[in-house]
Amino acid sequence: MMRTFRGGLLIGLAVAVAVAAVAVTYDFYDTRTLKRTVRRGEVLCGVNKGLPGFSIPDDKGNWTGFDVDFCRAVASAIFDDPTKAKFIPLDANERFKELQNRKVDILSRNSTWSLSRETDYDLYFPAVAFYDGQGFMLPRSRNIDSALDLNGSKICVQDGTTTVLNLADYFRANNMKYEEKKFGKLEDVVKAYESGQCDTLTADVSQLYALRLNFARPGEHTILPDVISKEPLAPVVRERDDDWMLIVKWTLYAMINAEELGVTSKNIDEALKSKKPDVMRLVGTEGNYGEELGLTKDWAVRIIRHVGNYGEVYDRNVGSESKLKIPRGLNQLWNAGGIQYAPPIR
Amino acid sequence: MFSASVSLAQQPDEADQPGLIADDTYQLDPEWQKQMVYYRTTEPPGTIIISTAERHLYLVQPGGRAIRYGIGVGRDGFQWQGLLNIARKAEWPDWVPPPEMIQRQPYLPRFMAGGPGNPLGARAMYLGTTVYRIHGTNRPDTIGTKVSSGCFRLVNSDVMDLYDRVPVGTKVVVRQRPEL
Repeated sequence: MMRTFRGGLLIGLAVAVAVAAVAVTYDFYDTRTLKRTVRRGEVLCGVNKGLPGFSIPDDKGNWTGFDVDFCRAVASAIFDDPTKAKFIPLDANERFKELQNRKVDILSRNSTWSLSRETDYDLYFPAVAFYDGQGFMLPRSRNIDSALDLNGSKICVQDGTTTVLNLADYFRANNMKYEEKKFGKLEDVVKAYESGQCDTLTADVSQLYALRLNFARPGEHTILPDVISKEPLAPVVRERDDDWMLIVKWTLYAMINAEELGVTSKNIDEALKSKKPDVMRLVGTEGNYGEELGLTKDWAVRIIRHVGNYGEVYDRNVGSESKLKIPRGLNQLWNAGGIQYAPPIR
Repeated sequence: MFSASVSLAQQPDEADQPGLIADDTYQLDPEWQKQMVYYRTTEPPGTIIISTAERHLYLVQPGGRAIRYGIGVGRDGFQWQGLLNIARKAEWPDWVPPPEMIQRQPYLPRFMAGGPGNPLGARAMYLGTTVYRIHGTNRPDTIGTKVSSGCFRLVNSDVMDLYDRVPVGTKVVVRQRPEL
């Protein structure tokens, strides 16, 4: 009798220990990023080590940029506090591995979305934050405003990049001739262009604007509107973590929808009093869309108040109010000349 | 919608400095320089689309592009939106400051003949029957700002370029940030 009781006690104890162990292990290995982020109290953002306009630290370690602000927007949606984002600079070759290994919660680091990048690393690109692509810069005095007028040009390009291949494809497809001036280092490409060794320089459009900043007279160089390749830059999250993926995706869409509806960080309090259904759904005075995401009713208000709408973030970091002054182009809203288009909040 | 502040809208702003000869060597920031840009729209080529929030005027071109000009727009409270046509065009337009403006600034000329010192600049395109117009300026440094009483100003070289590209009857769409 006694033995049975003691045996029962032991078994009970063993079960309890086992359950506790499983619970602790489960908690430790819980793959749900939102839960881990909330427990930690901050979002871990993988960013570029230093790319003006996108993510760059100053000498005091304060980060600024388009990608940085996007991560602050995610932190704002969750914590109502944009400072609850910690920035972890990552190299291009380590970025996807680091995300996969849970060193960061989100990659907000000018990464081009492609099929192999999603399948190779079990990652997911929720939505396009910035449509980049290869373009051409040339002296304004040449009075050319279409890439189709570049037949016979000498073109400066960085060797060993997809840029060289895109260039070849584009000229072949349009039955045009050109002369390549290839250099291993980007700075040599720029030097050659500046010294007049080539008629035009080709690189990704965002890069062309950054390069132009350093010219003695930036206004004397123009960047053509033509974009000859697709470089959709997007945040990245891990696969099989749908709740987190939805938060990242809809943070971006909230910012784009806010711009379309005219809601800004400056008029957000006014927007809370709006009687327009689209605005009411965005700011949470109608519906419970925030709760459905695992956030609060005012999730989008937090984003817009602390970080701003898409246009504000664009202008401040890479657009008209920044040094780069990249025209909105493809990144303008779908109803204002571009292709930025967010599904509606409803 | 277009009748508000009729008298105000005709006033070149105090910042216009009648009599000042435009500095033709002034170099605009790249952002405000005339430039061919990507622009996707269902409006036909030849249409003018003005974005007051951006301070840009787009002249739609074939093939998903537009010529973009930097403009100065109306001050807050002097912005408007709508669809109009260019009703009339004029080279080196005269300027007749309205009585209200003379009252406030008695030192202004009662009439100023068109010319390089005229705040309306080298060309004017009149929008429908409204008091608004697209015109030049003798103050190129005001491009990219919110200074006017509802008119759209371009630097003289740009307004001359635009003038030669658009006939009377051209459709003009003025867009503003949506209201809450």
